[in-house]
Formats: sequence, structure tokens, C-alpha cells
Amino acid sequence: MTALLAKELADLRKNPSVFVPAIITGIMAILLPFFVAVIVPGVTGERLADSSDFQVALELYRDQPGLKGLAPEAAVQAWIFQQFLILLVITPIAASMSVAAYTVIGEKQARTLEPLLATPLTTFELLAAKVLGSFIPALGLTLAAFALYLGGALLFAEPGVARALLTARSLLIVFVLGPVAALAALQMAVCVSSRVNDPRSAQQIGALIILPVAGLLVAQVTGSFLLTGTVVLLIALGLMVLNAGLMALGIALFDRESILTRWK
Amino acid sequence: MLSALRLTRRFDARVAVEDVSFEVEPGEVFALLGPNGAGKTTTLRMLAGLIAPTSGAVHVDGEPMTRATAARLRGRIGFLTEAPGLWDRLSVRQNLRVYARLHGLPDPERAVDEALETFGLRDRGADAAAQLSKGLKQRVALARTLMHRPSTVLLDEPTSGLDPEAARDVRELIQRLRRERRAVLLSTHNLDEVERVADRVAVLRGRLVASDTPAALRARLFGARVRVALGAAAPSFAPVLRAAGFRDVREEAESLSIAVDDTSRRAPEIVRALVHAGAEVREVAAEEPPLEDVYLRLLSQGDA
Repeated sequence: MTALLAKELADLRKNPSVFVPAIITGIMAILLPFFVAVIVPGVTGERLADSSDFQVALELYRDQPGLKGLAPEAAVQAWIFQQFLILLVITPIAASMSVAAYTVIGEKQARTLEPLLATPLTTFELLAAKVLGSFIPALGLTLAAFALYLGGALLFAEPGVARALLTARSLLIVFVLGPVAALAALQMAVCVSSRVNDPRSAQQIGALIILPVAGLLVAQVTGSFLLTGTVVLLIALGLMVLNAGLMALGIALFDRESILTRWK
Repeated sequence: MLSALRLTRRFDARVAVEDVSFEVEPGEVFALLGPNGAGKTTTLRMLAGLIAPTSGAVHVDGEPMTRATAARLRGRIGFLTEAPGLWDRLSVRQNLRVYARLHGLPDPERAVDEALETFGLRDRGADAAAQLSKGLKQRVALARTLMHRPSTVLLDEPTSGLDPEAARDVRELIQRLRRERRAVLLSTHNLDEVERVADRVAVLRGRLVASDTPAALRARLFGARVRVALGAAAPSFAPVLRAAGFRDVREEAESLSIAVDDTSRRAPEIVRALVHAGAEVREVAAEEPPLEDVYLRLLSQGDA
């Protein structure tokens, strides 16, 4: 499996342009909260803490770790940065879907799949290498984006905002929820990639994983659902179970005979 | 050794391969001939453990290919697919390294070095596969197929689209595989290639139409014939041979074609009879119809 994984990563290194959309969307996800929390108030001269909308949000979230003890303006900024963290985590994943979606179909279209299947490689090893080949770069992008996010908050936001992002909840979102959600999304894409004969279909179906995460973001912002550290952990555990199920499903769905004999 | 026993494969209602049996011994080159859609590739895929037969069995070195053994037995088979199937962005060395590791070779780098050396690719190891000519790509694909030293080698159209020099290299390689006592199954449309390298031939058209050595197939379909080139008009000497007991004598302008039961025993008798009758015998040769004629005759018999 490591042999094929090494091949996947080497192939991506030779073709870095596939990550351009991921990098662009990642940068936009980083800039968006800075635009809302730092640039707009700076340009208009209106403090966020004076807005009644944000007062409501602060009221809802004032007991959240990281927001306690912050000055009102810093607390609003920290709240905005925490909410956008989810967007930051899912953006590189969404962009890596194209890599995962193309992975099995791409091999078939390049006529490289048949020699590969003629080796002792098992279906589990093939699928695991394909998923990890998309997951590892996505994870790297997420971590790089988080580092930029933190650095930006440290440099441009109110004092204490960057520290407020280093709560257990935030770290769980970036280092646990993000990776397991990514794994689930990419596994779905690879599963679909081995069942359809058009990479666009795989990408579109696999991208459905974005919907619940986006819903989570909206629920957070509107205050209808509180994503505490415990809730993040529970969702992550649920996703881990889902990941195990998706791998089993992927193996069951991977029909090498159909792929070899019916795909053109 | 590779054996196929009553292999049948259906795709829904369509029968792609039916009741096909043969064996390929170590050190033997066995050619599978057949028109497009005859089931050659399906047969190869079943033998390679890529698709399961609907019924029948495949044995590799005496071990049955089953769901449980397929992954392991694939390690004993080298399957050259119709397309080279190289990863274009990776270098030749990277392509080979992946397969060396997939086959669990103890020292992948050494195996790659040896493969590059053996296949004359030492200077091309760093080149991206996309930069290679078709012939070089096929050579890399062959190196990949044989790097793990499989006992059984399946070659699907190995010289398809290659220039004569590259095709000759492939044929030499097949001869080498025979000397190394590998069981080689060659699927091809190229009858000249079969003529040059195959020990036995099978003609497939869904079912196995015939299977034997090229010489035996010729003898079975056309019988043995001796062609005699003469220095004078041939028709005047045909009656001489008929009188000597040769019933099937065909006349051409300056040559005769005579059906015989045993070429080596009858040829001197023919020459003696002709010389005795005053003929100037210029050349005597065993007449071998091209394999193409054998192949087409077999297919037409299959149609009938």
C-alpha cells in the first residue's frame, strides 16, 4: 500500500496545479474573517462591539472558553474567527475532492489500472492508498491554512484574539474534526470514483459531505446549535465510525470486473 | 505451468469464452490467435486472476486460482496488458519502483537497476514516461511485467504498433523467456510473430477452434506437399509422377506441387522419377502454406 501511496504523492508533486483551486479557496477562507472582523471596521471606523447584532452573539457565547476576559471588541473578533474556523477546515477538503474523485477513473482512463490490478495489491490497499493520497495533501493544506490564520490573527486582530483560537474546541476542530471529516469526504469520492465513469459525477456526489458541515457553520452563526468541545468530539467519533463503514462499503462496491470490462 | 480447464465466461446473456482448455508448460510459448472479440483478452484476464470465470478453473504452478489465492498467485504471473499503462508524469525508474514494491521484492532499488540494465533502459531511468517513444514505453512495460521473475508470462499484443526493430527486440525477449523456462502465453493478431516464436498455437473464437503445433495444424488442414521447380514446362512431367503413384499432382508453368504422406521419404522418389524421365530438377522444397492460410481455414471451418 505504501508503494502506491508514494506513487500518488509523487504524481501530485509533479502536478501541483491540481491544488491551485484548493489554495485559492483556502486563502479566501482565511481572508474572509479578516475582512469582516478587521478590515471593514477599520475602514468604516465603526467598532464591532457597538453593533447590536454582535451583542446578541456575544451574549450567547460569552461563557465559551477563549472569550472570557477579552475586551468587547476582541471578544467579537475572536467569536468571528472561531466561527469561520469551520469554513477554513472544510475548504481545502472540498478542493481536494477533485483529486480523490479522479483517482480511480483517472487510472482507468490512462489505462494504468489493469496492470495495477494484476499485482498482488488487494482492494483495501488500493482504496486506502487512493484515499490517503488525497487526504495527506488536504491535511497539509488545512494545517498550513490554520498556521496562516493564527499568524494573521496575531498580527492584525485585537490582542488576545489569536490566543482565543487556541482553545481545546478550536484545536479539536482543526486536528480531529477536520481530518476525520476530510477522510469521510475523500472516501466517499473514491467510492463514487470506482462506481461511475465520469470524474465530474464523483466530485459532485462526494462534495455532498460539505452540506452538513456548512449547515453546522450556519447553525453556529445563528446560535441555534452550540458546537462545544464535547460536541466536536462526539461528531468526530461518529465520523470515525462512518469512516470505517465507508471503507467496508468501498471494498464491497469496488467491482474490478465491471471496471475492467465495462468502462470505456 | 499454467492450465485453463473448461473456462467459460458470460457477461449477462453474452458468452465471451466457452469451454476453453489448454496447458502451457514451462519453457513453452503458446500463442492464442483469434479475430477481434474472440475472447482472447477475456481469457487472459481470467488467467491473470483479474476476472473470475463463470465456470471452469485456472491453475498456476499447480495451484488453483480462487478468491482466496488470487492476490498471491498474481505475484507469480507477469501480465503485459495491451496498453503499456505507464504513469506519464513519473519517471521510468519511479514507474518500475512502484511495481517492485507492490510485488514485495526484497531490494526494490536493485531490482529496478537490474530491470533497467536488462531492458537497455539504464540511460532512460530519469526520463518521464510521457517522453518515451511507443517502443520504449513497451520496453518499460515489459520490464515492469518481468521484474518480479514470474513463472508465467501473459503477453497481450506485445508488438502491436511497434516498429520492426522494436518488434524484433520483443520477439528476442520471448525467446529468452522460453530459455529461462517460463510458461509464456502470447495473444496476438500477428501471424508472422507466431510463426517465429510459438511452439503451439490455439485459435479461439469464443470456443477453442483448434490447438496444436503450427506444423501439425498445417499437415492436418493442407497435408504435406513437395514443390519441384523444373527447367522445362512442368505439365509434360505430371503424368510421370501420376504413373509413379502420386495421385495429387498440381501443375504450374515450370513447377509441380505434389501431395505426399511423408516429405523426407517421398521427395527422393519424386526426384528420381523426374530425372529418369529427363526432367531438369532445379529445386525441391517442402511446401508450407503460410500460417495465415491455416488460420483462415480454421476460422472458416469454425463458421461452417
